[in-house]
Amino acid sequence: MFELDIAMKHIRSRQRQTLFSIIAVALAVAIIIVSMSMMSGYMSILIDSTVENQAHITIMPGKDEDYIHLYRGLEDHIHNLEGVLAVSSYFQGEAALQYRHDVEGVVLYGINPYDENRVVNREDDMLAGEFASLERPGSRIVVGLRLARNLGVGMGDTVTARGPGAEPTDFTITGIFATGTQADETTAYANLERLQDFYGARDVVTGVGVRVSDVYTAEELAKRIDRETGYDATSWIRQNAEILSMLETSESMVFFFYVIIFTISGFGIANILIMIVMEKVGEIGMLMAMGTSRRSIMLIFLLEAGILGMTGVIIGSVLGYIAAMAIASITIPVPPGMYFGMDHLPIVIEPGNFVTAGVFAMVINLIAGAYPARRASRMDPVEAIHHV
Amino acid sequence: MSEEKIIEIRDLTRIYGDGAPIRALDGVNLDIERGEFLAIIGPSGSGKSTLLHQIGILDTPTSGTILLNGVDITKMSDRERSRMRNEELGFIFQYHHLLPDFNALENVMMPLLISGVKPSRARKIAREMLEEVGLADREGHRPNQLSGGQNQRVAIARALANSPDIVIGDEPTGNLDSRASDNIYELLRRLNREHNQTFILVTHDEQMAKKTDRIIRLVDGRVVEDSG
Ligand SMILES: Nc1ncnc2c1ncn2[C@@H]1O[C@H](COP(=O)(O)OP(=O)(O)O)[C@@H](O)[C@H]1O
Ligand SMILES: [Mg+2]
Repeated sequence: MFELDIAMKHIRSRQRQTLFSIIAVALAVAIIIVSMSMMSGYMSILIDSTVENQAHITIMPGKDEDYIHLYRGLEDHIHNLEGVLAVSSYFQGEAALQYRHDVEGVVLYGINPYDENRVVNREDDMLAGEFASLERPGSRIVVGLRLARNLGVGMGDTVTARGPGAEPTDFTITGIFATGTQADETTAYANLERLQDFYGARDVVTGVGVRVSDVYTAEELAKRIDRETGYDATSWIRQNAEILSMLETSESMVFFFYVIIFTISGFGIANILIMIVMEKVGEIGMLMAMGTSRRSIMLIFLLEAGILGMTGVIIGSVLGYIAAMAIASITIPVPPGMYFGMDHLPIVIEPGNFVTAGVFAMVINLIAGAYPARRASRMDPVEAIHHV
Repeated sequence: MSEEKIIEIRDLTRIYGDGAPIRALDGVNLDIERGEFLAIIGPSGSGKSTLLHQIGILDTPTSGTILLNGVDITKMSDRERSRMRNEELGFIFQYHHLLPDFNALENVMMPLLISGVKPSRARKIAREMLEEVGLADREGHRPNQLSGGQNQRVAIARALANSPDIVIGDEPTGNLDSRASDNIYELLRRLNREHNQTFILVTHDEQMAKKTDRIIRLVDGRVVEDSG
């Protein structure tokens, strides 16, 4: 293919300028890959921590109801739905926990620890004690780390719980958990039956949590449960709609910057190509006289844009990969419990990001090459040959 | 020499500009036979280059027709024109117009590569051509490493590489001293005899013109003399 020969010679004949345009593309690609990897990192940490620490679907009583009465039948029904991994019914109430002079308001969950653990993996979050200690219906309680700190309590201490219309009751702390989320400050767990008793309720629950195998099908499944049972089912996606849409907005904002960065690097390519075309007018005329078609002339300069762009993309991908790995390996001092317990910037190296950045760069570079290429291909051969 | 007409030009007119139109060619009629070696002469601005550009399918006439090998080139698509230039025509200009980034051999190979000949075969043909113009030992040199006369020889080798029927030269020696000019003329003459290709040379060198088979004199875009 003589077009490629000519394109390569043109590039080699202007090594310094072509090098600069390649570096510009490479830097753009590298910057964007690092930025995308960080976005992916934040996104995955956010989603992971959300889907790990929350039920994927939460079922609440229907309109004008306070409780789900026939919750065992509902559990069975949901268990049999496809894609459901675990179901956990809970009784949720508000309470004030007191230890000596400290009082903290909490959300108190009465659960079956075995079921609840299957839905939110709470056992993995235990810093002390066992979540399973809530198995038997005694006055035991598991609290979040920050809640424990605020109350100044530790394992084995006894706190007094007061609730609306409930007798003050002493609970013994048999576990402390830390999830890195708000729950650490506001949540406490007790045995389901014990709590039903505490609040003077019959054998009813206030909600059912569901864990599914594919978190992205949660919304669909929630709608189905809603429809089939008449209860009010919400997916984690809808519960976190605000934060997810904020992420999407920031992603499209960032996308706008990607376009600007790539456009700047695209100008570098356009610039060098315009320079080559201007310098090679006579040559283009002679190539036409030798029978080179306008399409081939166009191809020569598009190839040049493609080669410069591709080289930039390859170098940039390597640079971006190295930079992302380097950033991921730096440990930064953050107070524990903040930022989901991360101690370094979240970086997720996703092949998709490299493909996106590369394709994006190539498209912009080819657009940048299109103008000079078109200009070259439209030259009048006689004028071009006699151009000085 | 055969009596086969390779070029038939009828009422060829080329008008430039629209404000104050210039009739660069004004109703030219001309028949040229295969293997002819002819000179086009005339004062500066008389339309010599314009006529060559028309024959070379580098430009389109305002009116009139040109048949190359019986085909009307004024009605061709852009693609066909390119193909025709590649296969049927060889160009030599006053300046060699070699591609500066390629060496002599690669320059001569170019028309062959454009027409899709395999590189190995193109290289072989190009070597033969360079040998014919006496530059076999310079094939690796770039244009800036060769003299004006040598570059013009490479340009000639390139013009003939694809065995075109017609070779056109617009003042091919205009940029050379008289000795180099004579050498180039001798070379063209020899190639014309050996390959039986049609050579059409524009020149203002009367001495050189006299050595051709036929002289066409243009004045103000008209053929005023056709002797041969
Ligand atoms: N591109 C052009 N635009 C306008 N006028 C032109 C152009 N090319 C040639 N001419 C005019 O056409 C006439 C013939 O030009 P040309 O064929 O170059 O003459 P020659 O080669 O005999 O010196 C001249 O008057 C010239 O000025
Ligand atoms: Mg002229």
